[in-house]
Amino acid sequence: MESLRDIRQNIKAIKSTQQIMQTMKMISNARIKKAQEAMVAARPFAQKMLEMVDDLKQDILALPQPDDGSETWAGRIFVNRTGDANKVGLIVITGDKGLTGSFNAVVLRSALAFLRENKDKKIFVFAIGKKGRDFLNRLKMPNLHLVYESVGIFPKVSYVHADLLGDAVLKTFMQEKLGSVALIYNDFKSLASQTLRQTQWLPFDFDQVQKEKEESDFEFEPGMLEIFKILVPRLMKANLYRVLLESQAANLAATMNAMDAASKNAGELVTALGVKLNKVRQAGITNEILDIVNGAEALNN
Amino acid sequence: MKKLTLNLITPEKQLIKEMPVDMVILPALLGEMGILPGHVKTIVQLGMGSLRYKADGKEEEFAALGGFVEVLNDVVNVFAESAALAGEIDEEKEKQRIKALKESLSNKDADIDFELAELEIKQAIARMKVKKKHL
Repeated sequence: MESLRDIRQNIKAIKSTQQIMQTMKMISNARIKKAQEAMVAARPFAQKMLEMVDDLKQDILALPQPDDGSETWAGRIFVNRTGDANKVGLIVITGDKGLTGSFNAVVLRSALAFLRENKDKKIFVFAIGKKGRDFLNRLKMPNLHLVYESVGIFPKVSYVHADLLGDAVLKTFMQEKLGSVALIYNDFKSLASQTLRQTQWLPFDFDQVQKEKEESDFEFEPGMLEIFKILVPRLMKANLYRVLLESQAANLAATMNAMDAASKNAGELVTALGVKLNKVRQAGITNEILDIVNGAEALNN
Repeated sequence: MKKLTLNLITPEKQLIKEMPVDMVILPALLGEMGILPGHVKTIVQLGMGSLRYKADGKEEEFAALGGFVEVLNDVVNVFAESAALAGEIDEEKEKQRIKALKESLSNKDADIDFELAELEIKQAIARMKVKKKHL
């Protein structure tokens, strides 16, 4: 049976852990407001830009392609006829720290599923967040190449991070002639929940936007191809920026929820231990009384 | 009379949301360009300069710095890299910013992105130009 001192120490330890968890929750709570604002502010730009490219769909698909089997720059981005199906890219966005419930685990699980599915192909990985990078480094798969990593950017994501990531992805996509690039991250749904998203990043997926009407025959100033060369990277980066911000907010929300649940659990544990403490103490007192009464009885006899 | 619907969005925030206007003048890369209701579908690359719109006889002016514009079915979506209301540009601040940037550019040891610094100087100059014209 545990001694009174053991139980008291146990309670003390749990209480101080609880304090830490509550503090972490409060920190996330304070940061999340800012993260949420940044995310909401970045949404319209990325969304409207996607819609614009979707408006251009007919014009893009009608672009003339060289006859010799090669492909233009814009063609690579939107159709990717000449991409090597045996080379794929994967962008994985996780958090830097644990203590976030299943936040990192769900991303890594589906990343692992993706890697298994493509185990015969050459995989080029872009890892954002320490958890994801460490995980991928541990895998030691011979066909896996970690081409880009960025850790420690949360919770201070800025456009520069999206810019660097976007450049790296586009460069690898063009140079290595990747067949496709997938993206796995957590979307911020509400303070209470995050949703795992796995999307095709390249070639551009027109089905992201729901539109009723199809448009064509736009006029371009300057030329169409000149505009695409600048517009496409800009669009990619605007959306990567949005994704990073979503992930950041989702990460903070996950931390907050995990810490909230943990500190509630700790509270319950403290109550249970308190009851146990009282029981043990009472048992001790009863035993002592019994001893005294027995002793007195023995003296009387 | 038919109207245009104007959206002005920067990566940081949406400055104008679905505002009915009579006319928009854009700083296109190859010169200024006026948009009236009934304009053909167009995608324009923006230069740096003054972006104006007229609504009910009132005129408002912005300094828009790079980006794109989509004109489709009388909706004008402006995706500007940066935009500031002309009346709110502080010339003194811009001058100081240019000075500081030029100093760091001339300092060889400074750890800065030269392209970015040059771009920022260009943007500051463009903002000042718009401000001067606006007065």
